[in-house]
Amino acid sequence: MNFDAKPFLLFSNIENGLMHWLLVFGSFIGVIFAATVLIALGIYGVSGPVAVMGRVRQGLHDFVNLSPKRIWAISWLTIIEAVRRKALLVFVVFAFLMMFAGWFLDSDLRADLQVKNAVSFALTTVSWLTIPVLLLLSCWGIPEDIRVRSIHTVVTKPVRRNEIVMGRILGFATIAAGIVAMMGIVGYVWILRQVPNNASLICRVPVYGTLQFLDREGNVSEKGINTGDIWEFRSYIEGGSKASGAYKFSVDAPVDRIKLESRFEAFRTHKGRMGQSLLVRYVLVNPTKDLRVPLDSFEIKEFNLNEQYLERKLSFYDEARMEKRTVDLFDDVVDQNSLTIEVQCLDVGQYLGMARPDFFIRLPDRPFAVGYFKAVFGIWLLTVFIVSIGVTSSTFVKGPVATLLTFSLLIIGQGFREFMIKLITGVQKGGGPIESWYRLVTHMNDTLELPDNIGIKIMQGIDNVMLAGLWLMQHLIPDLTSFVMSPYVANGFDVPWNVAIFRSLAITIGYLVPCLLVGYYSLTLRELEAK
Amino acid sequence: METQSVIQIKNLTKIYRDFWGRKKVRALNSLSLDVKKGEVFGLLGPNGSGKTTTMKLLLGLLFPTEGEITVLGKPASDVSKNEWIGYLPEESYLYRFLNAEETLDFYGRLFDMSPQQRKERSNQLIELVGLQNARKRQLKEYSKGMTRRIGLAQALINNPDLILLDEPTSGLDPLGSRDMKDLIVKLKNEGKTVVMCSHLLADVQDVCDRIAILYAGELKELGRVDDLLKEQHETELLTSKLSPEAVADVEAVLAKHNAKLLRHGHPTNSLEDLFLKTVQKSQERPGQRFVPAASEKS
Repeated sequence: MNFDAKPFLLFSNIENGLMHWLLVFGSFIGVIFAATVLIALGIYGVSGPVAVMGRVRQGLHDFVNLSPKRIWAISWLTIIEAVRRKALLVFVVFAFLMMFAGWFLDSDLRADLQVKNAVSFALTTVSWLTIPVLLLLSCWGIPEDIRVRSIHTVVTKPVRRNEIVMGRILGFATIAAGIVAMMGIVGYVWILRQVPNNASLICRVPVYGTLQFLDREGNVSEKGINTGDIWEFRSYIEGGSKASGAYKFSVDAPVDRIKLESRFEAFRTHKGRMGQSLLVRYVLVNPTKDLRVPLDSFEIKEFNLNEQYLERKLSFYDEARMEKRTVDLFDDVVDQNSLTIEVQCLDVGQYLGMARPDFFIRLPDRPFAVGYFKAVFGIWLLTVFIVSIGVTSSTFVKGPVATLLTFSLLIIGQGFREFMIKLITGVQKGGGPIESWYRLVTHMNDTLELPDNIGIKIMQGIDNVMLAGLWLMQHLIPDLTSFVMSPYVANGFDVPWNVAIFRSLAITIGYLVPCLLVGYYSLTLRELEAK
Repeated sequence: METQSVIQIKNLTKIYRDFWGRKKVRALNSLSLDVKKGEVFGLLGPNGSGKTTTMKLLLGLLFPTEGEITVLGKPASDVSKNEWIGYLPEESYLYRFLNAEETLDFYGRLFDMSPQQRKERSNQLIELVGLQNARKRQLKEYSKGMTRRIGLAQALINNPDLILLDEPTSGLDPLGSRDMKDLIVKLKNEGKTVVMCSHLLADVQDVCDRIAILYAGELKELGRVDDLLKEQHETELLTSKLSPEAVADVEAVLAKHNAKLLRHGHPTNSLEDLFLKTVQKSQERPGQRFVPAASEKS
């Protein structure tokens, strides 16, 4: 497991998310409105802003008087168009890939790795085939209608422009739903046939906690020790010392026993005991009652999962009281619905690496199909997002430009947004574009101080303006990483509603609203003549 | 009592601009005209005179540079006016992947018509335009004439009060053209208002009550067809066949009244009439062929 499911607690984040959305959306609308009013005033005098207000009023009227029947009529047209233009031939490609994929997937691997490969392949194929088809369909639909002027026979009926945009988006989303559902089902059957032992198709439901490190003196530390790995996903604790990783889980109703699952990594400074792994111990802590319950130590399975059970009644030797005691997990150990477990490494001179998702409470598993089809739903949500952007951009630019625009947004949203944030926040060394260019030309690496002169100040000033533009862009470009849910399923996890699905749904809806507005005004304010 | 205006155009100017906003073409220049309820109004002019531009401005497909347009009492940009308008574009810009039934059903949906209404109206219109045998064929398989027919059917799906026809007879054979003209007259008799633009003058003359002639975006002539075509300085008499003596007597009488006979001979039918008569005969008596006279055989 090498992915970190960032928590997105819907009901605690929704307020912040909504405020942020309103701020960005409001600013966007406000800036455009102010610019339009000023331009209209400059060109037409007082009648200009009056006309702008008229358009705004007309827009409100059109959004209030939407006709679901007309929207569905446009959607129906969109679906028929896609079907008759043979968009569904994508199934042939999918079927072809599925027929022969088994030849190229390694069948000598461990069962869970075979599952990982098969699930990753099936879900990746579904998304890689669906996304380009929907990208092209959505970006070319309206421009083609304008080019061949068939849109003239539609807009000369009592059809509002927002109904066209909505109808198109709904139509493409329906096509996407059909394609993704069909491929998803075929992919599911293929996985069942591909994986030799269906018992390895699991859907674990983890409850993650928070992780806090204690250093070798037992003091709270921001991170553990870095053992030299450039990838800072895991932090390490020192064995045979007071260092530990304290996981705090939220637990609700009492149960007879709790299943714990972990996957820690070892870093050795000496060979240690031959043929044996690192010794690890869990200590349950209730700070309010000053209770520490050490559990039996165990050897970790490296590169594999460790499973332990916490029984309701726990017997242990209380070193403080010098006696054997039995405590109740929920009555004595759990402190205000919070269960704290310290993970300690007992081998002196060895290090144990851990990250927040490496240790969790495992709730009863769900059927594999549940997690799988949630990931399929995630692919559909991504196509809906792409379709919304594609249709909207196609209302103001031609098909190829709309395709390029939407594709760029998709790529940046999935892969380069983090880099943008690093540039803006200064985490990425080397300055803005001009400073980077200057450093390249003058062979100055990013750790060297720049000379203090007016030229450098001008250069940095221009960079700051560009970075401000980038700052604006990173507010407009979405984080699309949450839409990719296949790693959960491939790693045998359920797709969490709060982390992946609600987040993706919120992003989709958050972009759909401005898309409708932009698409509506774009089609309303332009002459629908092919040029 | 003055008849109600269905279309009012005041000082309409349309300038096409390029991407940079520079003036490219002045397609219309201060055009003003009214179209009354229940009349067939023709917009005439050579290519590039501004007929189609006027039509598109009426429909809100283009925006005026200057001037005002009112259609059915509403601004041209008001979508709700389209409830009562039917439009046949110059080329039938329809969805070629749909068949005739689907096409009419789709356009019926855009008027919020119920499935029953759509079905009834589609059947009625398919019969009206004579496409019963091609109702299930996709439009991409249609000939140009058939496409015009289905285009007309979609324009009438909502039983409109105002019908805008851009080159309605373009691409139609003489029979189709005659049917189209008959239909326009029928629509007029039902109290509909028809505005058509064409450069086929005979068609316009046959059906229009009033015409406007545009040239280079400017209105050059406007009025009733009869009035505009009437030659005020000449009189036409049509009699049964006269002998040469009778013609000479007529000339003498005319001379007595200080007039003279300008032309005499046998009146001719139009080629369209001859064609239609021939086709009608052929339908009534299939198998009959033209046999050249003996003199022509040699």
